[in-house]
Formats: sequence, C-alpha cells, structure tokens
Amino acid sequence: MDRLLLQARGLYADGRRTAVAAMAVVLAVTTVLFYSGGLQVIETEPLPWAPPGWTQGLEVVTSFNTVLFFLAFSLMVFFYAFWSWAFLPSPAVLYTVGVLRGIFGETARIVHRMGRRFRVHLDADRYVDVVCRVRDHASGEWFVFELRSSPVMCSHSQEIAMRHGMRLDRGCFATRVSHDELHHRTLLMTRALALCHPTT
Amino acid sequence: MHQHKQLDRDPTEMNSDDTLSSVYELIQLVASLNDTKRAILFALAHIYPRSVSGVQLSRLIGYSGKSRSLYRGVLSHMQEDKMIQVDQLTPKLYAIRINNEHPLLRVLVELCRQYGGEMRDIYLQAMEGR
Repeated sequence: MDRLLLQARGLYADGRRTAVAAMAVVLAVTTVLFYSGGLQVIETEPLPWAPPGWTQGLEVVTSFNTVLFFLAFSLMVFFYAFWSWAFLPSPAVLYTVGVLRGIFGETARIVHRMGRRFRVHLDADRYVDVVCRVRDHASGEWFVFELRSSPVMCSHSQEIAMRHGMRLDRGCFATRVSHDELHHRTLLMTRALALCHPTT
Repeated sequence: MHQHKQLDRDPTEMNSDDTLSSVYELIQLVASLNDTKRAILFALAHIYPRSVSGVQLSRLIGYSGKSRSLYRGVLSHMQEDKMIQVDQLTPKLYAIRINNEHPLLRVLVELCRQYGGEMRDIYLQAMEGR
C-alpha cells in the first residue's frame, strides 16, 4: 500500500479510538448531569398490581431525564456518523488528488467536497466523480474508490462500458476500484467518455 | 483442425484489424486491473468453460486471505463490471467462471484456448490439488 495511504489508515484507526474514548467520557458525564438532579417524572398511572419497587424503577425509566439522556446520546451518535461520513484523513486526500492530478494535469479543476467526494471536471459538461470509502466493511478492504462519470448518451454505451471494464448504471459509467487501480481505471473511464462524446 | 473449428464458430474473428483493436483494448483493460483481479482473469480464462469454487480460486491465484473477503470485495466488483459470473449452488458453494459474453474477455478466452494449452494443464492440475 502507498505510504500516504498507510499513514491515512493509521490516522483513521487512531481517530476512531479517540472518538470511542471521548464518547465513553461524554456518556459518563451526561449520565451524571441528567440523573444527579431530581427526577422530572412524566405523570403516569401507577400500576395497581405492581410492587412499589417496580413503580419507582418505572418512574426513572419514564422520566424526562431518560428522554433527554437518549436525545443527547443519539446526538453523539449522529455527530460520530457525520464525522466518519464527511471527512477523509488528509494523507488519503493528498494521495487521491495527487493521483488525479497526475492524470489530468496541474491545471485540471478538481473539487473536493463533503463526504469524501472528488469531482474532476474534464470540460464544460463532462466530469468524473470519485468517492473514497476508507474501509469496506463487507470485505475488510481499505480505501475502495467508486468512480462515476457524468451521464452519457450514445447508442452503444453499454458496449463501451464493458470494453473499459465498467458497468452502465443509470446512464453513467460506474465502477468500484481498489486504491492501486485508481490511476489507470480513471484513465480508462476518461477514454470511454471520449469515445462516447467525440470532440470534433 | 481444432483451432479452425473455434475460429469458424466465433463471430469476433471478422478481420485482423478488428481483432488487433480488440487485443489492444484487452491489454489496456488487463493492465488497468490490480494483481488479484488480473490473476483471477487469467486463471479463469485458461480453465474456461469450467467453473471453480472460491477455495479453488484462491488456491489458483495464490491468495492468502480468506475466500469470504475475496467474494465480498474483488469478486463482487468484478461481477458488477460483468467480467465474471458467480452462481450460487448452495448457500456456501459458489461456481465462478469468466463471462464469455464480455466483448474483450471473449478474445482473452480465445487466445488462451489457442495458445495456452500448457498453462491450462498447470491450472487444472492445481485445481485438482495434485
């Protein structure tokens, strides 16, 4: 694996560990905060058949404190999910942009957007989207890239897609490649686009 | 004699110019793939029309990881791109073969059939685990 990607993998693993540790601390703090004050009980009918211990327990469960606690917890989970969706470790960004610049030149317009997306503008209406997945959970593979082109409209696009090792997905060329294929298969996608829209 | 039969049957062999351009595209495609995918294509092209199981395939390509991660990663990518066909025989047993309908891989299979007899024997021996 490339040195930059190895660095990125290390950073990602560290980041996750830090996030889990921070989450545990924050969780403990919120528990103390929400339950150390008095209980704000939501009015419920006491169950006639239940022993008094149960009723007290239920009061804790159905209190506003618990509702707020779960709200805080889901907020934390949401932020963690957002963080891991949106950001790519910076060495991996360097790698991706470096590879793409290598093919398309220093002057090419490459836009890095939220959600680990890169869009390479080839000309006015043609582009290639590159999405990086840090870790593919199904296979355990690191840094899998999804390539997707701008929509193509030509008569034999299916044939062209297959001849360039891609599939046609909703009118776009698309494929999933591993990090060591990124360079050459992006090149092939560009060739396929050029075949579909000959510049005359 | 055997080779002539193949040629008569195959519609891709129209004229040498078309064939050459297909070979060019085939080399380009194969060059763009990583080691694992390349090894899979070559192994499957040589043993075509036979299919292999995941365990046999990992042996053929000298893959050290688990065959489960092969299925979910590389093989599923290649299946999406219509390079290989994976048939599920039983919940745990898959039959993997090269997609002979693919415009370029058909050429590869044809090349292997014509010139790859020795390699084919080696692959088949490895498959039987001898």
